[in-house]
Amino acid sequence: MPKRLRGNSPSDSASTKRIRGVTTPVDRLSSLSNELLLHILSFLPISSLNVCQRLSRRYHALGGDSELWKRQYYSQWVRPRARRLASARPSKLPAPAEYSPRVSTWFDHSHLAEEGKVTNWKRQYRLRHNWSNGSCRVTEIEFLEPPYPPVLVKLCAGIVFTADAAYGLRAWAAKDPTSCLSSISFSDSNVSTTRPTSLAVSQLPEGQEIVVGFETGRFSRYVYDVQTCRLGLRSSHVGFRDGAITAMALSSPYLLMVSQHKILSLYNLRTRSTGKAQDALGPCEIASLQAENMVAPMTLSLRVSTFEIVTTIVYSFYHIGCGWSLGIQELRFNKDGQQLESRLTTTVDSQYGIRPLQSLPSNKRRQSATTDPIYSSATPTEPSILHQQPPTSMSYSHPYLLTSHADNTLTMYLLVSNSNSLFVRGGRRLWGHTSSVSTVQVTNRGKAVSVSSLGNEIRIWELETTVSSLGSRRPLKEESSIQVSPDNRQLENKLGAKSLAQDIGGLDVASTTHGYMHECVGFDEERVLLLRKKTVGTQLLECYDFT
Amino acid sequence: MATISLMSSDDALVTVERAVAERSILIKNMLEDLGDSGEAIPIPNVNETVLKKVIEWCDHHKNDPPTAGDDDDNRRKTTDIDEWDQKFMQVDQEMLFEVILAANYLDIKALLDVGCKTVANMIKGKSPEEIRKTFNIQNDFTPEEEDQIRRENEWAEDR
Repeated sequence: MPKRLRGNSPSDSASTKRIRGVTTPVDRLSSLSNELLLHILSFLPISSLNVCQRLSRRYHALGGDSELWKRQYYSQWVRPRARRLASARPSKLPAPAEYSPRVSTWFDHSHLAEEGKVTNWKRQYRLRHNWSNGSCRVTEIEFLEPPYPPVLVKLCAGIVFTADAAYGLRAWAAKDPTSCLSSISFSDSNVSTTRPTSLAVSQLPEGQEIVVGFETGRFSRYVYDVQTCRLGLRSSHVGFRDGAITAMALSSPYLLMVSQHKILSLYNLRTRSTGKAQDALGPCEIASLQAENMVAPMTLSLRVSTFEIVTTIVYSFYHIGCGWSLGIQELRFNKDGQQLESRLTTTVDSQYGIRPLQSLPSNKRRQSATTDPIYSSATPTEPSILHQQPPTSMSYSHPYLLTSHADNTLTMYLLVSNSNSLFVRGGRRLWGHTSSVSTVQVTNRGKAVSVSSLGNEIRIWELETTVSSLGSRRPLKEESSIQVSPDNRQLENKLGAKSLAQDIGGLDVASTTHGYMHECVGFDEERVLLLRKKTVGTQLLECYDFT
Repeated sequence: MATISLMSSDDALVTVERAVAERSILIKNMLEDLGDSGEAIPIPNVNETVLKKVIEWCDHHKNDPPTAGDDDDNRRKTTDIDEWDQKFMQVDQEMLFEVILAANYLDIKALLDVGCKTVANMIKGKSPEEIRKTFNIQNDFTPEEEDQIRRENEWAEDR
């Protein structure tokens, strides 16, 4: 199309003649007001916007205009999703969303525009773009002499927390994980030197609250102050008298933990204890339960709403008909720790799974311990999802439940939990990995990261698209997952700076890779954190930065 | 058929059908506010040639349905311009930018969009150097600065 403007139409050649006659050619474009220039730029694709930024200082400012990028962000990431949601549930939602400058009207994007904070939309766009392409930069921290049990790592709001017996609790900036921000030794506290066995982090207004569970059954509460970048011990308590704390979930002020003897405890960390003036806010056990039939791997989750605390324990068990399945135990407490309800469901039905979403109301089968079980007459004889081996890991973030398997797949379930019932809706295997998947992590926004142990392959999943295809029978498209391909990895290889012979792409699965084990420890909006174990020698903490 | 007169910046009188002139929100509002006194409406920012060009466009589009205001995104998604408008915009840069300015002043949104899309199409797919040449834009970056910006924006290069 631009051809006709450049071409040899009579008017065009006339203009060139005129310009040639004048000593300094007129820059008519730049004589326009910023407002008009922005209007012109709003018709350009992002590649051209970036080209325009290179023209001059003025265009650099205009082409980086946050409102322009906000629009681009909307049409690239928000509108397609809004359309999809609207077509999936036409009755429930308002008309297909047109662009609105108010981010709160965008589905699920309110976290991008917090009160009183200016969002840099170009930066957000690039972040999202990099996630969708899997491009990022890798940085690594090496832990010499891997302690046993291995280093525990958590990522929360840009801060990486590690805990091990030798160095204690340490905080690192995820942005630049080469130097330690703050550290606190476990032996300094009144806890005798013991090995940490579990770690949980939760966001506080002033920083992060960290709880470390120890082999002895004790747990300590720390606070990381964002202002001063210091870690501080707040208190230390006896959790279990007879065994290590194996898993914890923290959602301040509530703490859920389970011991190696399968005792489950729920604490409120800030209870006003009467009588003691000094320690007015201390932890208080509000519930304790014996959980007999749980088999590892298991995962704990804690959701706190205004009226209740929902704790969920997901565990695997063997079912004769369809191999390894998941059991989901959900306990509801009120704020005083009074147990309101206990519900149990399994994924067995979903694994037999002939249950399209659309026909759910008429044809639902639940194996819920609670209300009105409606069983359909036709039960297929062969399960569609059959796992002969227990899952290698599982991750639950309501409503997504994901398990990773040694057979190169992931399985996704959707958990429905409402006031009447708890049931599993749909199960689907996710294909994409080319070797055994060792870990998976999911967030409640439906983004999941999975890691394979052999191929050094990291994949990012956008589960929302997958969910909308649950009902239909059409096969999953390739695009539902993206392989992470760090930009700087190849460079490092060339320089030989690190002995990382393998390409993350998994193309070059050399014998060296067999020495590695991956454990995905978490990710946030900007980064993925990975703990990489070598069979002999050291542990590496890798940070994949998508900004 | 009611007609009105417009007075251009160079004092030329242009007679135009009222319905055509009302494609301009500015003129439409003026007529509504002041009533049709029969006197020429002064358009001080637009000269006769440009005004005639704008009226030519308004005349051709006088029967267009009113733009579906909120359909903002569909409008933006495409830089397609209908064939008549393409021909209409085959003018030199001076006229093109005069028309954009006039459309902006007279508040004729559809014409402004056509003009801006035409300019956007002149930018699209070109290298910075080509764009600078097209519009005679002065580069005030040092080579180092320009190189740094190029590297910052590498991620968004055409896939």
